[in-house]
Formats: sequence, C-alpha cells, structure tokens
Amino acid sequence: MKTIFNLSLIAMLSMQLLWAQKTITGIITDETGVPLPGATVIELGTTNGVSSDFDGNYTIEIGEEAALEYSFVGYSSQVIRDIDDDLLNVSLNPSNELDEVIVVAYGVQSKESIVGSIAVISDATIQAQQATTITQALQGSIPGVNIITSGGVPGTNPIIRIRGIGSINADSSPLIIVDGAPFNGNLNNIAQEQVESISVLKDASSTSLYGSRGANGVIIITTKSGTKRSKTQLTISSNYGVSNNASALHNLINIDDFTKYAWESSRNSEQYVQGLTPSAAGSKASMNLISELKYNPYGLSQPVNTSGDLLVSPMWDTDWKKAVFSENVTRKEHGVSINGGGEKTSFYFGSNYLKEEGQVKTTFFERIATRLKIDTEVNDFIKAGLNVSYTTSKLNAPSQSGDGIQGAIQWLYSVPNYYPLYQRDGNGGLILNSAGERIFDYGNNLTQLVNGSRSNSANENAVGAIDNYKFVTNLTSTTMNGYFNVNILEHLKFRSDVFYERSSYDNFSYSDNNFGIAANVNGRVTQNRDFDTTLNLTQSLNYKTYFGLNRLNADVIFETLRYQIDELGASGIGFLTNVNVLNGGTRPEGVSGSNTEERLISLISRISYNYDKKYYLEASARRDGSTRFSEESRWGNFYSIGGSWIASEESFIKDIDFINYLKIKASYGELGNNRGIGYFPYLQLFETGFSQGTNPGVLSSSPVDPILTWEKTAMLNYGVEFGIFDGLLDGSVEIYNKESIDLIYDKPLAISTGNDFIKTNVGSLRNYGVEFSLRSTIIDKEDFTLNLGLNFSLDNNEISKLSQKEFINDNKKWEVGRSLYEFYIRESAGVDPNDGYLMWYKDILDTNGEPTGERTMTKVYSEADRYYVGASSLPDIIGGFNTSVTYKNFDLNALFNFSFGSYVYDHSYERLMNTTDITGQRHADIANRWTKPGDVTDVPLLLNSQNYFGATSSRFLFKNDYIRLKALSIGYSFKGSFIERLNVSRFRLYLQGDNIFTNQTHKGIDPEQNLSGATNNRSYQLKTFSLGVNVQF
Amino acid sequence: MKKIIILIALISTLIFSCDKDYLNEPKPTSSVSSSVIFTSRDGVNSFISGILRASRLELNLDRLDTGGLPSLYFARTVKGNDLVLGVQWYRFDYNNDNRDPTDKRTVFNWAFPYTMINELNILIKGINDSENLSAIDKDETLSQALTLRAFYYFQLAMEFQHTFSYDASLPAPPIYTSPALDGKAMSTLTEMYTLILSDLNDAVEKGADSRLDKSYVNKNVTYGILARVNQVMGNWSAAEIAASKARIGYSLSASNYSNGFNNIDDGEWIWGIPQTVDQTITINTAPHSFTDNSNKIGYGEAFWNEDFVNRFTDTDVRNTFFDLFGFGDNSGSYKARASSKFRLTFDPDIPLMRSPEMLLIEAEAKARQENDNEAATLLFSLQKNRDPKAVASGNSGTALIDEILVERRKELYGEIGVEWFDAKRLRKGIIRTGNHRVKSPGNLLPDDKKFFLKVPQSEIDANDNIEASVNADR
Repeated sequence: MKTIFNLSLIAMLSMQLLWAQKTITGIITDETGVPLPGATVIELGTTNGVSSDFDGNYTIEIGEEAALEYSFVGYSSQVIRDIDDDLLNVSLNPSNELDEVIVVAYGVQSKESIVGSIAVISDATIQAQQATTITQALQGSIPGVNIITSGGVPGTNPIIRIRGIGSINADSSPLIIVDGAPFNGNLNNIAQEQVESISVLKDASSTSLYGSRGANGVIIITTKSGTKRSKTQLTISSNYGVSNNASALHNLINIDDFTKYAWESSRNSEQYVQGLTPSAAGSKASMNLISELKYNPYGLSQPVNTSGDLLVSPMWDTDWKKAVFSENVTRKEHGVSINGGGEKTSFYFGSNYLKEEGQVKTTFFERIATRLKIDTEVNDFIKAGLNVSYTTSKLNAPSQSGDGIQGAIQWLYSVPNYYPLYQRDGNGGLILNSAGERIFDYGNNLTQLVNGSRSNSANENAVGAIDNYKFVTNLTSTTMNGYFNVNILEHLKFRSDVFYERSSYDNFSYSDNNFGIAANVNGRVTQNRDFDTTLNLTQSLNYKTYFGLNRLNADVIFETLRYQIDELGASGIGFLTNVNVLNGGTRPEGVSGSNTEERLISLISRISYNYDKKYYLEASARRDGSTRFSEESRWGNFYSIGGSWIASEESFIKDIDFINYLKIKASYGELGNNRGIGYFPYLQLFETGFSQGTNPGVLSSSPVDPILTWEKTAMLNYGVEFGIFDGLLDGSVEIYNKESIDLIYDKPLAISTGNDFIKTNVGSLRNYGVEFSLRSTIIDKEDFTLNLGLNFSLDNNEISKLSQKEFINDNKKWEVGRSLYEFYIRESAGVDPNDGYLMWYKDILDTNGEPTGERTMTKVYSEADRYYVGASSLPDIIGGFNTSVTYKNFDLNALFNFSFGSYVYDHSYERLMNTTDITGQRHADIANRWTKPGDVTDVPLLLNSQNYFGATSSRFLFKNDYIRLKALSIGYSFKGSFIERLNVSRFRLYLQGDNIFTNQTHKGIDPEQNLSGATNNRSYQLKTFSLGVNVQF
Repeated sequence: MKKIIILIALISTLIFSCDKDYLNEPKPTSSVSSSVIFTSRDGVNSFISGILRASRLELNLDRLDTGGLPSLYFARTVKGNDLVLGVQWYRFDYNNDNRDPTDKRTVFNWAFPYTMINELNILIKGINDSENLSAIDKDETLSQALTLRAFYYFQLAMEFQHTFSYDASLPAPPIYTSPALDGKAMSTLTEMYTLILSDLNDAVEKGADSRLDKSYVNKNVTYGILARVNQVMGNWSAAEIAASKARIGYSLSASNYSNGFNNIDDGEWIWGIPQTVDQTITINTAPHSFTDNSNKIGYGEAFWNEDFVNRFTDTDVRNTFFDLFGFGDNSGSYKARASSKFRLTFDPDIPLMRSPEMLLIEAEAKARQENDNEAATLLFSLQKNRDPKAVASGNSGTALIDEILVERRKELYGEIGVEWFDAKRLRKGIIRTGNHRVKSPGNLLPDDKKFFLKVPQSEIDANDNIEASVNADR
C-alpha cells in the first residue's frame, strides 16, 4: 500500500508542471492586514497550488482564464476569477461558525469536513458555569452524553457515558485525551479557565483512530494557546461564592416521636408476635424500652407509659445534621493569565487558584494549577512547541458516602436524635474531661448500664470522626507535551509528539488515639503514596495534496504508550495525643508496595478525501497490541469509514433561499475496548499478602478464562446538519446504533463452587438512539441579542445475546431483549388493613408447578416472586436547554439540564422505613404507619422483631425525573471612557448561580446517584451563589 | 539534504522503537504463578498458610457477624440457652430467626465453607499433579488439605440439614472434590459423611505429628475432627479412639484459664487461629469482641443465663462470671451476669480445639459403650483439674452421660457452640429458661427445622442444578 501511495505522489507532482503559463504574485493577509504564512493558493480545476511564505508572499504560475482559490485554516476561502493583473493581494476573513475548526483525533478539521459525530463545547459555554472538574461542563450541553455526579465532595469526577452503556464489566467510560495524549491523571487537576474547548467524539469514524480504546467515545480537552502576532494580554479573574445543599435531605423525625415509635414497635411485637394481651404488651414495652434502647434521655425509668404516652421532656435532642454539616460554605477562585505572540513565537501562561468547601464539616478541595505553552517556528520548515503544566491539589474529605459506620450521611440516616453527641453519665449528666470539656460519645462504655453503650453504630461518632480523624489526599501532577513538526517536502509533514505525565498521590489518614476505631491501638496513621507515570510517543507523517477539485489528506501514525503505577503504603499505630506522623508511632503495623505496568503499541492510518468541498469521504484503520491480553490474542484491528454530502453547496439547493446549510452524513466502524478489566486478566495467579504469622501465604485468584478476547463494538451513525432562515434555526439530528459483542463480564458462578465469578465473554449488547441539537438566534442586533439552545437524546439499551438464558445481578435480571438496567425485584402488594403486614406478589402455579400468569399475595417474603416491574435506572430522555441574552452592557446565560424516565432504588429511604431495629433513625413517613385493624395505608405496622417489610421490593423504588438550573450568570461589562481611563480593555462584573434550582420527583436525595439507580448515603451536590469579576488589560 | 537526513533519522527511530519484546516485558508483581506454588514444599506451605489465614476472612456482607470460621461458631453459641445476648450484631442468630434464603447468616454459612473448599480443591489437585514434590512432602501436605476439606464439609452438613441420625438420605449441599466452575446438584447426608470419613481416614494415614505452628493441621487435629464427626454419627468406639489420640501431648492446664482465652500458646490448645498486630480482624473477632463487656472497643453486650452460672462452684476456675451492674441475684435482668472468660485485645488468638473437649468426647464415648467407670474417672480428672474442691458425683448410665454433656457446656461455653452441637446431634432441642432477653421465640424443639438453614437464593439463581423447590420443605 505504501508503494502505491508513493507512486501516486510522484505522479501528482509531475502533473503539476504541464499547465503553468502566467505568473501571479502577491501577499495573503488576514482582515487586519497581518500576513498569513502557510495559506494555500490553488488553481481551480487543476492540481496546481502553492503556499504563502512566512511573510504571506506567494508566487504561482497559472493558465489563462484560470481561477484561484485562497484558503487558510480558520478563515473563509476566497475564489478569484478573471485575473488580469500579475499582482494580486488577498485578504481573508475569519471563518464563520460553520467553518470553525474542530479538534479531532490526531489533528483538527473544519466543521464541514467532518463525516462523523463530533460535538464541541467552546470557551463561552465552559466559562458560563463553574466546573471544578472540567467534564462537569459537558452536562446538558451535548446530546447523547449522560453525566452523573455521585456525591457532593468538591472535585468529584462525574460518571460519563456516551451514547448508552457499551460494556457491562469492562470500563464503559470514554477515553480522555488532553492536548493530544491519553490522560491518566485526575481530571479535577485541570482548571476550567485554562480550557479552550472540549470535543466529544461519539461515532466510529471520529473515534476509530483510538482503536482499542475508542468504543465508548472519546473526550478531547484542549487547553488555551497564545496567538502569533498579537498584543500581549493580561487577564485577571476572581470570584467568591457561598454554597449549600442543592437538594433537601430526607425528612427525619424528632426525639419524642422516635421514642414513641420505639415503644410502639415493642408493644406490637409483644402483642402481635408473642401473643400478649394489648395491656400486657403495653406494659412490657414500657418496662423494656430503656433496656432495649440503652440510653435514657428522659431520666424516668419508664418514660413512656403503658398506653404509649411520653411522660416527660428529654434532656437532650441531638441535632446530628447541624453537628455534621456546615452551612454557607465558601468557594473561591482566582486566576491570572497572559497570552500573546511575536513574529515567530506565541505563548500562553495561566495560573489558577481554587478552594471549594463541601457541606460535610472540614471537607474542602484546594488546587493551584499552572500552565505554560510556547509554540515557535525554528526556521522555515521546522516548528516546535512545549506545553507544561504543574498542579497541586489537596482534598480533605471525611467519609460521606456508603454504608461505612463513619459515613456522615449514613450516620444521619441511621442514628436518631435520641443518642447524645457528648458522653453522659447514668443519670444523663454530661461527663467532662479533666480540662472541663465535653467528650464525644462513642457509645462504647459497656460498663455503664444506661447511657453507656449503644448497639447502633457502636464505637463511633460521626462528628468525632470528622473532628478526630484526618483524610487528606495530596495530588501533584506534572505534564509535558512537546512536539516538533518538519515540513519534509512541500506536501509531506512529519510530526513527533512526546507526552509525559507524572502524578503522585499521597493519601494520609489518621485515626485518633483516644476515640473511635483505632483507640484500642492508640491511634493509627496510614499513608499511601502512588506514582503514576505515563509516557506517550507519537510519530506521524501527513501528506496533503489536491488535484482539480479533489483534495486528499493522508496520515500514518505510530504510537506507543507506557503507563506505570508504583504504589507504596505504610501504617503505624501507637501515637501520643496530637502526634500524627508515622515517626511518632510506637509500632509499624503494615507495609505494602507494588509495581504495575501497561503498554500499548499502535499503528494508525487515515485517509480523507473531498471533492469540491461537497463530497467527503474518510477511512481510517488502527492496529493495537495491548499487554492486557495474552500474546495470542493481544493484537486487534479496528477501522471505520464515513462520508458526508454538503447538499447546500449543490446549485439546486443554493437556490432555495431559506436553506443556509444542509449536510447529510453517515459512518460505520468497528472498535474495541480493553479498559477496566485489570492489567493481567488472562493469567490465573496466586495472590500474595495472606501470611499466617511469620509464614508467607498466598491464595488462588478468581478463575480466569484462557480464551478471553477483546470486547468489540460496531457503530453506525446517520446524521443531518442544517441551518435555515439565517440563524433562526440551526441544528442537527443524529441516529446511532451500537452493537457491542463479546462483552467481558464477571459472570456469576454458583457460590458452592467457591468462586463468585469468572471474567469471560458473555454476550452482546445494543445501544441505539437519536440525538437532537437545536439552536436559534432570535434577536441579533447591535445592543440586543437573544440565543436559545436545546439538545436532548433518547437512548436505549438492550441485551441482544447472552451465553446463558439469564443472569440475576443484584436487583436486576439480564435476559435477551431487556436492558441491563431493568429492575427485577419483589413487588410490594401494599399493607393488609387487617393486621398491618406488608404483602408481596407471587405467582399462582398450575399442577405442574409452572406459573399460570395469575398472581396472588403473600406475607412471606421468601415465597414472593421477583418480577420486572417496568422500571429502569436509565433515563428515557436526557438533555439540556440554554439561553444567552445580551442587552447593552448586560449579559445573561442560563443552562438547564434534565433527565426523565429513570428510576432510583432508595436504600437510604429503605433503611429509614425499616423498623426491624428499633434503635435506628426513621423517616417522617412512619407517621402513616398501620396502627389498628382497618387502617388503609402503605406503611406497615412497626415491629421490633425480624420482619421483611424493609427488604428489597418495589416499595422503595421511585421515579427519578429531574430538571436542574445548572448555571445562571448575569454580567455587566463596563464600556467606554470608564475602562479606557483605567487602561483596561475589558471589565466585567457578574453574579453566578450554580445548581440553584432543582425540581425532582423523588425528594430527599440528590437526583444524580449512579447508573444502576442505587442511592448510597451520598452527600449532596451544592448550590452556589457567587460574585465575580473579570478584567483584561 | 538536511531534510533527507532528518527524515532518515526519524524513520529509523520509528522502526527501532518497535522492539518485539516491548509488549512481553510487563509482568504481574503482586502475584505468583502456579509453577512457583506446586514445585516446592515451601510453595505448598505458603498456599496452606494462605488458606488458614483465610479462615478468618470477612466476606463482604456489610456486617460484623461474618468474620470467618469464628463467626460461624459464635452464631451457634448464641442460639443456645447458656448465653444471653444483648441487642448487638448476632441478635438475629440469638432469636433463632436468621435462616431465610436472603439472610446474611444463610449466605455466609454457605459461601464461606465453599470458598475454603474451592481453595483446598485447587491445593489438592496441585499437590497430586506436581512432579517436583517428594512422596513424603505430598503426603504431609495432602493430609492437611484433606483434613481441612473434611472439616468444612462437616460444617456444611451440620448447617444445612437435620443431623445425620435423623435421616441420612436427606439432601445435603453439593459435593466438589476438584475445582469447578459449574454448580452441582445437592448431595445426600450419606454421601457427604462418606466423603468426610474417607478424607479424614486418608489424612490420618498420611499425616505427620510435626507442624509449623498450632494453627496448622497435624495428626492431633485430624484425630480431633474425626472424633467430632464420629460423635455426630454415633460411632462411639471410633470416636473414643480418635479423641484419645487427639489429646496426646496436650495436657490440661487450669492455670491459664483466667488469662482471657486469647493465647494459642496455652498448653491445652490443640488447634487455633493466631492473630498478630498486622494480621488481625480485631473487633470482628468472635467470641472476644462480642462477649467482653469490660472493654471499650468491642461490641460486648453478651451476658450469661443465671441458671447456667449457678451450675458453677465458687472454686471452679471456669467460674468467670460477675455482676457487672450490681443487679444482685434473681433480678430477672438479662444483664445480671457478665463473664471475663474472653478478653479482647487488639490481636486475640481464637481457640478451635482444646484437649478437654477431646477428653470429654472420650468420656462420652466410653459411657455410651457402657464403660461407666473409665468414663467417670476421665470426667472427674477434668473436674478436679478445674476445681480443686471438686467431688465425684458417682453417677452412672444416663445420669453420667447427662453429667458429661453438662460438663461440656461448662468447659466450652462461648467457644464452638457446644450446646447447639449437642442438642442437634442428640436431637434434643433447647428450651430457654432463666433471665433470657428473648425466651420462647428463641426455643429450638427437638429436630426443629430451625436447627438448619435454607439454601441461599444467590446459589439457586446461579446454579442450574438446584431449583427453588429445594427450600420447599426447609
């Protein structure tokens, strides 16, 4: 193939010589008269063409009657006919939006030349919101991209899925590319202010150059650069904000209700389970209450009388929420940047400081991000550049998601106001330490009969955990991108890129020596230090030519990737108070360390062709070798083809007045996925680290599938892009179908085999959907503009093949024709008004034991059958809409995002409604419980004995639609003499609101949880009001 | 010319950077391949060590009552009459109400032994297939593996069906004797006990007396397990022989009784789980963390039935009971008596088998074979060791057997669920008396189904050979 390539090159060069007859010279400049070096001049209808030199000069020999086309990246091309002068100076105008340059895989392309599905968000969209992690800025702005931020820790990287879920077990998140190289660091290390654009590559033709890593889409983040021959600009920005929870917590009960419900649970148990008379049950419940709850805030030995009335007021009523949360936490961000350029060199320098606090006390994320970028022309054929960034960040995040006993939200939803924050003696009096201070109550004084120990969350105190423990992650990351570019021949360029990244993670945790989980060992310090190193080398050859109206562009790229993880950890115990470095420990407790390395070699090629900028064709292929597979199955081939037709360039459409732009496109390709499956998934090994005393010990790892093969995805994409009525409506519609085969899945095995799962290829999955993106310029006047945008997608997920009939995976069951995310659970049939017991449905069986299709109700949970309840955790429709208005000096931007049709299983609510353990916190909905025969309600009776009312069922499954005002900003830009006097070119003051309004169908949680629709006691996202200023000198 | 040189330099970089071994160099560093394990005695020992370490593994079930083998035993302990449990982690076991297909006890007591059995099957296959190990190394390691496999099948047989003597033809959990990926059908109790006996007898043949430390299996341990199995099956002469051999070299040592039961070096301990500071499950350790009321780090909240406490004389070294909160006698409070038998430290060792248990099995076996004199002598030797003022009862026949059974409870309380074990194998039931927190609802009738668990839903879901109907009559 290479030979053919070279032959055609020679042929083309020689053809060039046959036509020249007349010499034209001139200078090509931009609209301000600055010369444009490297602009191309082509004699239309021929292969004849030249480039301008560094001063914009060009000389070309053309035939009589010839027409010339002048073009330059980022500028509108211009065609000049009827040339009768030998001197022809041309100035080009910057291209309008349709000609904008888009960052694509290994390069840039003009928007109209793209045959695949690529969406871009620009600087303006990014800066209109506050995205501590840059990918959050994609939410609601690009159709087909599902973004979920799990929890409220500042700097949390959101879950991103592009066009459905293409993988079950392997990683189905998109590949992230930053400035041309795969990014392995933490995305929250990139300051939004320093980002120029984000491209989202969704279909095969746009991602196939990433081959084995492109199946789930690619996100390309490009940072800002300077511009040659531009004035040096200094920009200073600053903003300050105040945050609170964006969604309300579940409604909880007060201490007196808690006490009465506890009594009622006991009474009901005695009466309905043990069969005592109501009065005997009541008196037994009164008698046992304190010994069951173990604490007594009321002083009386029987604070609740035999008919359930509370006799006295409590001595304490712990407001855990107030103790755990801070209100009005702050967010501040300051940035400075300088950019500009001279004749041959351009530069950008930016530095940004951010500190954002979270709602759970002591939570904060602090970052300093600095970037320096220089591009220079060494001589007339070599260009080189360097892009260096250095970021340090610090995250202090006490546990605030999950079921861990320290978890702040978990605590609010499990420990009632009944238990005190500070230690109390048997009579309820405060216990003070020798300094006269109160002491956090860890509920672990087993030697004090009352107010000493609790069964609920014993040995812990969430507030104490926040105060007495430390959880710091320091991250330092350095990246370097260097390149040089050589114009070897007139049409042939060579470029070499080196990308190096080194991130060091330093996790430090300290548990107090006096209280809590490590008190028994006098405190514990655990420190883990990981160094992650990425080295990515790319060598590419680019050949570009044209003949007649044909344009051809070919790339051959060779890439190697090396990723190393070097981990080291140590922990020590036995610390004095206020000593929390490992040196202060009396005994080392453990050390750990490991080295992991991954490599990838790739050969990539791409050919794109267009005729008269009307018909575009692009084909690409990539061959990858990955260390994640055995030598036999390590190489994979991936390819794509795509085409587009700019119909609006055809004369029969050009004549239709209201159509400004019309493009039809289609693409197909096959890609792979090797991520998220571990580094050596094909090796059956023995894991070290199971020593018994001084004898080293190993255990066998999970079984492996020796014939494990690549996950592959075939993608088909059709799209239409249009613009009508001069900006009144622009947009695009795309339809996609993704078929993923040989999915890698941890297939569940019968537990009796002693194995949980085997990683194997189990089946196929189909994702299909349609995406709409619409925008409209309604008003476009000198001092008044109004733009609206709407985008949304309808995405579907369907299992198309399975290696066995079905899998049950937690509360989902997978079978062909169903989505991965359809709930399969017991279905609640309500509460029996006669006895208050919860009922579930079960099948009526025929004589052969097969279901008849009829259902009946049962009060025995284990007899109840599981059903598809018509609910999926994936939304039917997601999207966003935005508006931007400018009026005189004012500007307003608003961005909403929404999600409809998904369901969430609320484990927190389940726990708050589960009364099996009477010491647990309750939801206010318990007020609706069944209390006497005849009550019609959906909340069963309270029962202090083993019951399944709170077991997994549709009772806790909720529709989870929401719409959120994600960003709102109102700005005022000073103009005229005021800023001229200050020698300032731009001065803007603005008010910004993030997440300030959320409307959701299921209250009490943040609507963003996770893909499988499971809450996990996560902290809540924040709504932030801020005030900012932006000054440019 | 300059350009051409650059071009050549670049293209040669491109070609030479593509080293053929580039993709073969990265290797896993935290794991080793089977060739390292099964080619030397040290390698096999490391696998055995790992398996023993795993006997206190916490399966990720979000609970603290699933801490390996000790939690399986402690769940049996709390099901009886002697211990009175407060409101703590094991409370559902205490209520005898933790046996449905989705309950954590059900899942854990099924998954944990099978996890161990799978590792053991990999070990047994590896040893058998090894071409490098000597015959003696093969025998000594195989005997350990076979003993442990029999031990875990024995636990499954006890937990998931009536006792052997009730009806040995009843379905029992599936049997795997080699590593498997596909779930098998249920077996029968007969098949399971046949395998257990054959593994143990094989292990006795091949076993050695020496071992790395007391957490490993030697002949004493194999005999001890054989004694327990025969005790359940009612093979009294076999039980007698095995028990007597098991305790050879492990004499009684009353002096260590008050040291908190957390030291494997105690002379009576035949087999145990050692913990060290860097290898401990601390507050997950049963019984220590769940019975030590004096400690501020454990979960405590375990008390003892006054009816049980009253069986001890004041001079009995095993009388570790005290009135923590000053309730006095017969207050009715379930918190009236605490015990100091088990003391929770950061790294308590856990007893699995002690010589007095073997002595009492031997005594029971003799009595069952109507050798009352020898039985009574053995029994009194223990009683005298524990209480210098002990007086022989002079019992014989059923009264002697009953006395031995009571002595078992007095000797082994809190350790291996002896009360439940005896009630189950002798088909007697346990009726709660005295100052229990949960009384009659926690009762176990003779041959009560509550003596065993249902088959976990997750097993039924993933095993094509076990249908949901398996739980129909459970």
